[in-house]
Amino acid sequence: MANIAEQRIKREFKEVVKSDEVSAFNIKVELVNDTFTELRGEIAGPPDTAYEGGKFKLEIKIPETYPFNPPQVKFVTKIWHPNISSVTGAICLDILKDQWAAAMTLRTVLLSLQALLAAAEPDDPQDAVVAQQFKENNPIFQRTARHWTCAYAGGPKSDKELEEKVVSMKNMGFDEHKARVALSTKDWDVTRAAEYLIS
Amino acid sequence: MSGDVNRQLSHMSEASSCYSDGNSSEDMDEDIDQYYMDTTDDLDLDCPSKTDDPEYFEYEPLQVMDAERLLNEEIEALCTKLKVSPSMAKMLLLRHNWQKEEIIENYQKDPSGFLIDSHLTSRRKHDNLIGPRPMCSVCCVNYPRDRFHGVTCGHMFCQDCWDMHFQTQIQDGITTAIECMAKECPVLVTEDFVCEVLTQPKLRDKYSKFSFNDLIKSHPKLRFCPGVDCAVIIKAKESKAKKVECQTCKASFCFRCGISYHAPTECDVIKRWLTKCEDDSETANYISAHTKDCPRCHVCIEKNGGCNHMQCPECKYDFCWMCLGDWKSHGSEYYECSRYKENPNIANESVHVQAREALKKYLFYYERWENHAKSLQLEETTTSKITTRTQEKVMNNQGTWIDWQYLLRAAALLKKCRYTLQYTYPYAYYMDKGSRKVLFEYQQAQLEAEVENLSWKVERAEITDRGDLENQMDVAEKRRQTLLKDFLEV
Repeated sequence: MANIAEQRIKREFKEVVKSDEVSAFNIKVELVNDTFTELRGEIAGPPDTAYEGGKFKLEIKIPETYPFNPPQVKFVTKIWHPNISSVTGAICLDILKDQWAAAMTLRTVLLSLQALLAAAEPDDPQDAVVAQQFKENNPIFQRTARHWTCAYAGGPKSDKELEEKVVSMKNMGFDEHKARVALSTKDWDVTRAAEYLIS
Repeated sequence: MSGDVNRQLSHMSEASSCYSDGNSSEDMDEDIDQYYMDTTDDLDLDCPSKTDDPEYFEYEPLQVMDAERLLNEEIEALCTKLKVSPSMAKMLLLRHNWQKEEIIENYQKDPSGFLIDSHLTSRRKHDNLIGPRPMCSVCCVNYPRDRFHGVTCGHMFCQDCWDMHFQTQIQDGITTAIECMAKECPVLVTEDFVCEVLTQPKLRDKYSKFSFNDLIKSHPKLRFCPGVDCAVIIKAKESKAKKVECQTCKASFCFRCGISYHAPTECDVIKRWLTKCEDDSETANYISAHTKDCPRCHVCIEKNGGCNHMQCPECKYDFCWMCLGDWKSHGSEYYECSRYKENPNIANESVHVQAREALKKYLFYYERWENHAKSLQLEETTTSKITTRTQEKVMNNQGTWIDWQYLLRAAALLKKCRYTLQYTYPYAYYMDKGSRKVLFEYQQAQLEAEVENLSWKVERAEITDRGDLENQMDVAEKRRQTLLKDFLEV
């Protein structure tokens, strides 16, 4: 690993650990190996959003050319959000692509991701299905996102109705996660979700 | 050197017939030279006359050196006028598409505001260095102050980091759009700074090559020839959707958008059409098969020529390949085959029926578009057949080479007319209903009828009377010109 990259990550690591956001349990960075090429991040779902109460884990890979090229970041925790793939966790965010600047840090990245959770950009989607639901059926989107936060990110339990639908499909013999994806995709219509899984 | 330029210019007059006045004796000499040199170019029909040709377009080919000189002249002129550095002037021209008057006006009104809007300076001068040995915020190393550099925004970083930053950007092909490394700072880095910092000479070459490309691309009057490995740059008086033919690589393209010439269709419309065709071509290909049955005796016929006026080899029935109708009804006034008949009650139908109707409409135009493209290919073989036959005839003392040139002229004109005809279909597809569309389709039908007549006669050139054929050529070209005059947006 290039000297600059390692130097920077060590420094940044200290910066994040000491920052106010860490003491407030808002963001967190951990080392995965000794070479500083891979890190694990965590952000708290912002308050007054469907992600409130959830803890979202992130995989952060540091390229050889860091900080002249952005870190590669994706969600490990499953999340229902227009700019994040519900399948792979890939993120569509400008500062992780062409708007990256060498003077940006992991802390800015994590805070930007938190801001993205609070303000989605459905016109620049990563997940077309989620983005469409966000735009055309926002109340259902909010319920679905909250439900996913509860199911995968340890968020508070809230929506009995949705949980029961997942359980009913599970009882039909479907895999729980697949059932949740199908129900979320089909606006929680059990019949259509079952058809979707069978076809 | 001057000899080179002369040759180019006279060559250019071949392409656009507009450059030489033909008054000076030097020009005359060149013309005579040209006459003996370019024997094959006599067949070139793309020499529209200036007066009333809707396709007329003035342009000239430039070599990289000439283009560089031209750009440098413009850059220098702006430098002197605004009293800014050449790198700054270059960036201003690039960012404002070389609109010199506009740049001068805006700069003189509010110099700093204009530079801020152009991302060439920032609202306030930043100072991010603390103490006698500040830390570079990119590499986190402390250096003495003289190791730090920056652009007009004032954000300072160490020399090594700038060097790495430029290397990474240039590797990604970014040159004229390299920004400052600070967070959310859009200020651009100018050429002088990049070249001062860059340590590898190889990358400096890459930088100047890529930035030259950016300069040309941003210039409204210059275009790279899209031909494979062709280094020619075409210069025109104005940026219009007109046909350019590169004399070096023979590529022909639309000056404005750089793809195949597409009159009478406009640039954005043809782009939509081509994307649509790419997306939907599977279905369309499946539906339009290569063979059809004769509508009368039902023998299977494979189309092996470009002409759409078909004659069944069995029963001798004359019919139209496109609509399978009797060819007689394709006379002239009744030629309806190019016109799509829309379901008049469509608005009241269900979504499903509307979708089917939309597909049907698209397929109608697509089939005709595709069919003319195929005919163009098939007619290429006719042209080569004519060439071989002509050679045979000349060898057998049946007339001279010159006597038979009219056949090649006919084939070339047929190609040109059919090409325009092909590109009338995307135009018609995107046209709104109304009297203008009725007129367009009428003229399209007229052109189509004459193109097919011409094709029929060219394929039977040996048994067609020369006067008859030349008359047909004239009629077809007139129809093409009329359509373009009325519908080609200038």
